[in-house]
Amino acid sequence: MDAVVSQAPLRIALIGVPNCGKTALFNRLTGSRQKVANYPGVTVERREGERVAADGRPQRVLDLPGTYSLTPTTLDEAITRDVLLGRVANAPAPELVVCVVDAVHLPIGLRLALDVKRLGLPMVLALNRMDVAVRRGVHIDIPRLSAELGVPVLPTIAVKRGGADALIEAIESSRWSGLRSVSEPRWLEPTAEDAEQTQSDLRGVLAAVGYGAPQENLWFARMDALLLHPVAGLVVLGMVLFIMFQAVFSWAEAPMALIDGGMAQFGAWTAAHLPEGPLSSLLVNGVIGGAGAVLVFLPQILILFLFILALEDSGYLPRAAYLLDRMMGGVGLSGRAFIPLLSSFACAIPGIMAARTIPSWRDRLTTIMIAPLMTCSARLPVYALLISALIPARGVGPFNLQGLVLFVLYAAGILAALIVAWVMKHFAGKRQYSPLMLELPDYQWPHAGNLLLGLWERVKIFLSRVGGIILALMIVLWFLSSYPAPPLGATGPPIQYSFAGKLGALLEYIFAPIGFNWQISIALVPGLAAREVAVSALGTVYAMSAGGDDVAGRLQPVIASTWSLATGCSLLAWYVFAPQCLSTLAVVKRETNSWRYPIIMAAYLFALAYMASFFTYRAIAGWG
Amino acid sequence: MFQQIVVAAIVVLALAASVWKLMPARGRLRALLALDAWAARHPQFAGWRDRSLKPRIVRAAGAGCAGCAANVGIKPPQPPR
Amino acid sequence: MCKSLSGAIIVNANPSHLHPRYSNRILRAVKSPESKANSLALAELRRGETGLVAGLAEVAGFDDGSGNAAVLMARLRDLGFVAGARCQVIARMWPAGDPMVVRIGGSTFALRRAEAAAVRVARIGEQPVPRVQLAPKDTSAALA
Repeated sequence: MDAVVSQAPLRIALIGVPNCGKTALFNRLTGSRQKVANYPGVTVERREGERVAADGRPQRVLDLPGTYSLTPTTLDEAITRDVLLGRVANAPAPELVVCVVDAVHLPIGLRLALDVKRLGLPMVLALNRMDVAVRRGVHIDIPRLSAELGVPVLPTIAVKRGGADALIEAIESSRWSGLRSVSEPRWLEPTAEDAEQTQSDLRGVLAAVGYGAPQENLWFARMDALLLHPVAGLVVLGMVLFIMFQAVFSWAEAPMALIDGGMAQFGAWTAAHLPEGPLSSLLVNGVIGGAGAVLVFLPQILILFLFILALEDSGYLPRAAYLLDRMMGGVGLSGRAFIPLLSSFACAIPGIMAARTIPSWRDRLTTIMIAPLMTCSARLPVYALLISALIPARGVGPFNLQGLVLFVLYAAGILAALIVAWVMKHFAGKRQYSPLMLELPDYQWPHAGNLLLGLWERVKIFLSRVGGIILALMIVLWFLSSYPAPPLGATGPPIQYSFAGKLGALLEYIFAPIGFNWQISIALVPGLAAREVAVSALGTVYAMSAGGDDVAGRLQPVIASTWSLATGCSLLAWYVFAPQCLSTLAVVKRETNSWRYPIIMAAYLFALAYMASFFTYRAIAGWG
Repeated sequence: MFQQIVVAAIVVLALAASVWKLMPARGRLRALLALDAWAARHPQFAGWRDRSLKPRIVRAAGAGCAGCAANVGIKPPQPPR
Repeated sequence: MCKSLSGAIIVNANPSHLHPRYSNRILRAVKSPESKANSLALAELRRGETGLVAGLAEVAGFDDGSGNAAVLMARLRDLGFVAGARCQVIARMWPAGDPMVVRIGGSTFALRRAEAAAVRVARIGEQPVPRVQLAPKDTSAALA
């Protein structure tokens, strides 16, 4: 065999219907751990992993987006098909296809397998979730299945250690390298006759292997009766979301106090042990007071993600999409938009990318345009800081007033999104029918290891942001607010004479009508890079204007004593709407392939933010 | 004086890092490629080029664009005319 | 389990104008090619009712003129809505039972009414279900 060819890694592609455990199997094969969710179409990104076979040959495994057939209805399904056909520019056709089929739901997976097999690519079939299948009384004659299809069939349990050993052995077999680049995949849009043929083939294979539908799970049926009920289901959904926001505040209290205290002590210690001078000021005011101020909010972000990950894993999210489909349809959105919008609560960027699972361009565009109105986790530090500084922590009935205000802010974002979608429905062109056709997967307990991995990923992302972009920006901001030094005999705090102070004074003309002081105006500028940077920036600015020794890590009492309620609420209203995130706009540009939509988005969001802040400020200032 | 030099160095580094991080993905890739072309002419950088520049370029090329509709040869569905 | 059969209802393809009429020969009809005329749309089954899929039929409301109706029909087929498959409606949303949740071949899918209207089924079940106009009031009664 050609030495060059055998050195290049064997290209393996994983394909399967959504929810067949393909992503978990991908993790087993490559060891690169990533998020496994229970929602159809979570694999929107192209994911690739390297692995080395037992004999040292490299293999490259590609995780394709889940699809029910090779006739695409959405963008990511089209990507799956085109990768298999070698039509994608930087991804040649795979040399081995691993078709993952959920043994519990054999017919739906097998139909795809029959389609894929017709492409003529070398293929093995992984019969996943065999443990669940056995438990639910599904019988499959595996040798017979293999004989019927003419491909190796390997039982796997993707979520169990060692559960993919048989599959690994099969894909490491040397026979695949012998088949390399032999066949060109070919595919034609199936005709009605082809569909009939597939159908009768499928029926024949199912009968031959003795497949019987799984036993109905009584608990699943009971849970569905409650969770899919038109009234009870919505009540439960509301309760779940409400508990989530309450927990963000009440569970995070102790760890936040710990981090806050630690940062304050660290700042004091640094100030005491370094000689007075610019270096000490940089570390205490810029690094600890600035970047440190945002670190306090790590526990709240983790709690939010714990809920989101657990809901994703449990199979509940598509059910929520079902419950909300009608309501969202009223404003011109598809129920499928629920998942991208829910991911936007974590961050608008994955949310906007997940909108690729929406078949209709118009629905997709609407979803993208309103995704930034969902309160992303980067806004949480801003909200949390202002709420804990300005809103008393007293109980209202069984609820915490602070949690209640947070819930209201989230609700305001959602409400605004619905209104914007409704307006867009009347401005955009004729509506294309966008199907729901959503699979509601079996319920399952969230996998503890999965949750921990997801949270750990979040910790890493957050810390690398704090230690990376936020730290860098804070040092620049510290410099801008320290220099030029005040002239001799100056009376005000030194920052007023610096670059940042002058910029703030200038911006104050724009922001004074909505109640922002110059400190806020300064903080909004670096806050464009990422929302939570504004908290750090406020920390630095206030530390600088106080002259520098007592405030590090203690932003909240300063705000509580110097801001009016109207100013605080105005800033909260600003943050509900303002597109204070350049990366979001960049992703919108990328996903829509045009500058038009990011510009429209920035314009309408800034306009909404200014109006909302103006009215909030005037209303509270006039009333109070 | 020593303090001021250290602080100046930190500030310059931070400024560079901010610009780098906020740069569009395409610009970052171009900058890396230019750096790579420069390093290719200087054999003493061969090791560094292989070890740390190459994976960065691969990541920059992939991170921004791998999942990008424009690169997959599929344009997002356009509104009906 | 489902020995007794209710009558099939012949309906106009447009679900908003139902002209139900009885026929006794469903099982035969389901198997035969002309079966589509003797079946009703899946969208007309109420919560808890079971149907035997007769086939797919194009309906209004599905096609927006962009020609994607065929793709959507193909997708329904891929999900398992093929002749002979048994499906059960396990939930319907308010108002007007739209969307609905259907269990088929061990999997569960949420479908809109417009989508479910494209699936022709023969109603099977132990109790014959009274003829009803599909109005919000009736769906709510079924859900109570």
